[in-house]
Amino acid sequence: MSYLNDNQEGSVHLLMGNEAIVRGALEAGMRVAAGYPGTPSSEIIEAFSKVARERNIYAEWSTNEKVALEVSAAASFAGLRTMCVMKQNGVNVASDFLLHLASSGTRGGMVLVACDDPGALSSVNEGESRIFARLVEVPLLEPGDLQEAKDITKWAFELSEELRNLVMVRSVTRMSHASGNVTYGKLPNTEALADFKCDGPMFDPDRGPMISMIVGAADLQHGPQQEKIRKAARLFEECPFNTYRGPEKPELLIITSSACNLYSREAVRLLGAEDRVGILKLATTWPLPPKLIMKNLARTDKVLIVEEVLPVLEEQVKILAAEMAAEIGPTRFFGKNAGNIPSVGELNPDIVIEALSSILDIPYTNVSDSFDDAARELARKAAPNRGLTFCPGCPHRASLWSIHNALELDGRKGFVCGDIGCYVFGTLPSGFSTVKTLHSMGSGTGIASGFAKLGQFGMDQPVISLCGDSTFFHAAMPALANAVHQKSPLTMVILDNNGTAMTGFQPHPGSPNNVLGEEMPAVDIEAICRAMGALVEIQDPFDIEETQEAFHRLIEHDEGAKVLILRQACALSPERRHTKNFEVEIDEEICLGENCGCNRLCTRIFGCPGIVWDKEKGVSRIDELICVGCGVCADICPAGAIKKKEVA
Amino acid sequence: MNIYGSRELCSDVIGKQLCIGCGACIDLCPYFRSYKGKTAMLFPCSLEQGRCFAYCPKIEVNLDELSQQLFGHPYDGHPLGEHISIGMSRAGEKAGTGSYQAGGTVSALMQYALLRGHCDAAVVTDREGLLPVPRFVTKPDEVLACASSKYTAAPTLSALHDAMKKGYSRIGMVGTPCQVLATAQLRSNPMKDEAFHDPTGLVVGLFCTWALDYRAFESFISARVDRNSIEKIDIPPPPSEIMEVFMTGGDKIEFPLNEIRKLVPESCSYCIDMTSEFSDISVGVMEGRPEMNSLIVRTERGRRIVEEAQREGYLILSDMPRENLEHLVWAAGNKKKRALLKATEEGIVNTAGEDRRSYLRINGGTLKKCIA
Repeated sequence: MSYLNDNQEGSVHLLMGNEAIVRGALEAGMRVAAGYPGTPSSEIIEAFSKVARERNIYAEWSTNEKVALEVSAAASFAGLRTMCVMKQNGVNVASDFLLHLASSGTRGGMVLVACDDPGALSSVNEGESRIFARLVEVPLLEPGDLQEAKDITKWAFELSEELRNLVMVRSVTRMSHASGNVTYGKLPNTEALADFKCDGPMFDPDRGPMISMIVGAADLQHGPQQEKIRKAARLFEECPFNTYRGPEKPELLIITSSACNLYSREAVRLLGAEDRVGILKLATTWPLPPKLIMKNLARTDKVLIVEEVLPVLEEQVKILAAEMAAEIGPTRFFGKNAGNIPSVGELNPDIVIEALSSILDIPYTNVSDSFDDAARELARKAAPNRGLTFCPGCPHRASLWSIHNALELDGRKGFVCGDIGCYVFGTLPSGFSTVKTLHSMGSGTGIASGFAKLGQFGMDQPVISLCGDSTFFHAAMPALANAVHQKSPLTMVILDNNGTAMTGFQPHPGSPNNVLGEEMPAVDIEAICRAMGALVEIQDPFDIEETQEAFHRLIEHDEGAKVLILRQACALSPERRHTKNFEVEIDEEICLGENCGCNRLCTRIFGCPGIVWDKEKGVSRIDELICVGCGVCADICPAGAIKKKEVA
Repeated sequence: MNIYGSRELCSDVIGKQLCIGCGACIDLCPYFRSYKGKTAMLFPCSLEQGRCFAYCPKIEVNLDELSQQLFGHPYDGHPLGEHISIGMSRAGEKAGTGSYQAGGTVSALMQYALLRGHCDAAVVTDREGLLPVPRFVTKPDEVLACASSKYTAAPTLSALHDAMKKGYSRIGMVGTPCQVLATAQLRSNPMKDEAFHDPTGLVVGLFCTWALDYRAFESFISARVDRNSIEKIDIPPPPSEIMEVFMTGGDKIEFPLNEIRKLVPESCSYCIDMTSEFSDISVGVMEGRPEMNSLIVRTERGRRIVEEAQREGYLILSDMPRENLEHLVWAAGNKKKRALLKATEEGIVNTAGEDRRSYLRINGGTLKKCIA
């Protein structure tokens, strides 16, 4: 039995934030979970899948976040409690349906968990999902510690049913991925029966059709939706998760939420400023409960808002303060606008300490600069100097190698439109700097479709787009359909490494199984591309010569859209892990090293971490510990010094 | 000779449209590659000096130094270059017959050189479809299979590098003036390698007024005829002014040379050499005598092989009529003059011996004589 399923009320477990969210959902009797993988959210659906059978839960990795939200909404419409999970960029993808859903409302409690990534630690941007709550007018909750991650999640389902609308729960990387003690509540023992009641009149919340809007009838639906938000604000006045700690009349009031609550508490403690600073930690950050805010603003005339990235909370509080100015008097605000808190990147206790010490004039010396310098020096000496790169034996390195070489030889200044996956390193020397545009999932192919139509304005650069197998289903299919239909002569490369590799091998529609490990029909990428009308080739990227020739054939073929599927499993994938195709070794007698004729191609340019440069001997060497035996380096060594021997 | 690295080669040669794609820099390292007639550098090399730069016939060519090393005296600017004799020739009865052009002298010489061990391999230019493909062969009959003119620039030197890597040490090289010049630079051991020995057994140069840019020619031809049915391409000696394309099925399609000349790369207009002056033997067509070749013998090694080949029935020699010789000198001198004037105008000729990197280094007096 999973520890997530422990039914002993009051038992304490060390949980990761994402697991605490899962436990909260289990305690709420959630039945259906859908999502699309994305750090830092991915563990949630995976955890559900582990308890799915015991708790009678349906969980799925959906094709993309919009579909996940739709799948989840169906469960709500049928009266079940349901959760939809995604990272911040996923909310953008889901946002079209999100607006409609917020308008139609929900039945069974429905919670959208959005895991933001301030500092873009594992994202290509630090987009804000909080703003979507305001945009589509649904309540937003933010847990301020790991216990709350469970408790607030559970409460979110009740709130959703009370309001008859979706509730957003927002986490951040440091909340999702930190671990802490969580005290369990009871698991419900209820039957779940799905029934979509739709035989009632329009706008009947219990039995009517679930529709987002009748054209020209905004007042009939939008008005009641806004009434839900006003009701949420009234409920939030009494929300036990909004807490104040500190003196009755502090000199400075910190208003904060989420992980910043913990940074603020630590900063106040380290400065010994508990007597001077109070912390209002908000769990209900949209809509704000005005009375609660007024009561706390009235404590002092100096307020510091501590939040990550955009001043979402800051602006809301300022609006209320302006409205309440007559009652509470003038307030001096510190935060992002005043320059105390940065609008970029993650916060940490040091940043909050710096803000507090300058506002309150408390001298504080962090770790001395010399410590920092010493640490850096030690790291330089002790750690290998290694840039951001692909894993040893990664098929993407081989794929980008062939793309790079084909484009250089072609000589028409061709380029690659990338998208989101491990292959974002295609923008860097480790991916041979081939990728020249990089945006959202699937957008590489859309952009390439546009570039390749600019021939009539004299552009003859070959255009290649990249997407992964999971991305193909997620967002690239419409772009390919566009390219085929518009006769746009792009070459779309599908880097098919057999799973959603970057986030941990979650299955996608092309996989033969689902998140529960059950056998599922695998949707055939090649057949889809052919059916769309693209010219399709398939190669093994480890076969450098054949792959490069395929690229030449395709980029020189200027009639319409072409697809090259480069199929090779990720080096870390379950099926390739601990297996080696080849034993690889370097013949030191043949290795040219730094001579004219090589100039360290393997370590200087190809850059597989499995090959290291032996400075003393002046030759390359295989690092047997991390070499996965793909054998590609043997094919790129110009001297034939790298030998591969097939493993029987 | 001033030797730099790949960075300078890229900026001064490829960057200034001087690269003709001869293959001198190809396959020495993993960085320079040839694709469809064009040379590309895949990745930057960080070495300050490289063989790529040293062998390139379009950068830092020191004519006096080269001439001194090959012929024992400085470059004197004669339109036909160093020569022992100038005459006419054609393949003898002993030589096999192939689809060679004109008198078949080149094929006959190379067959003979391989047969008698003067050479242990021969670097020639074959073709796949329209694309010229460098190869080295080791059997006399393989030479014939590659016979016939190609007319598009080819990275033939890469096959020389390949043959050297595989250990051949008396390699017969057949090439155009740029390829022969690159070969001469390679033979002069510019990197001062102590273990170096001249890898060639015989260098046969071809006469050349220009070559075509492969990609431009390919798209020109593909737009006009079915490129898969081309049997042979020929440009008969002047004054015909046409290119003949022979198709399977016997059709012959003609294109006026003034249309074809538009496909000549800029690089050829800087070439000062019509007769492959740094060869052992140079061979060309004969005006008005389509069954014969012009033959210039330049070195002792060349003379010896020509004489033996004649003695054994592989080659038939005769004198060149005076007016043909005069015309040859005039044509070659004209090409040299035009190219030197253009290169001087572009500021890429260095007569003063200063460090400035340039295409050619030539003695000021010789230059004056050539462009007079």
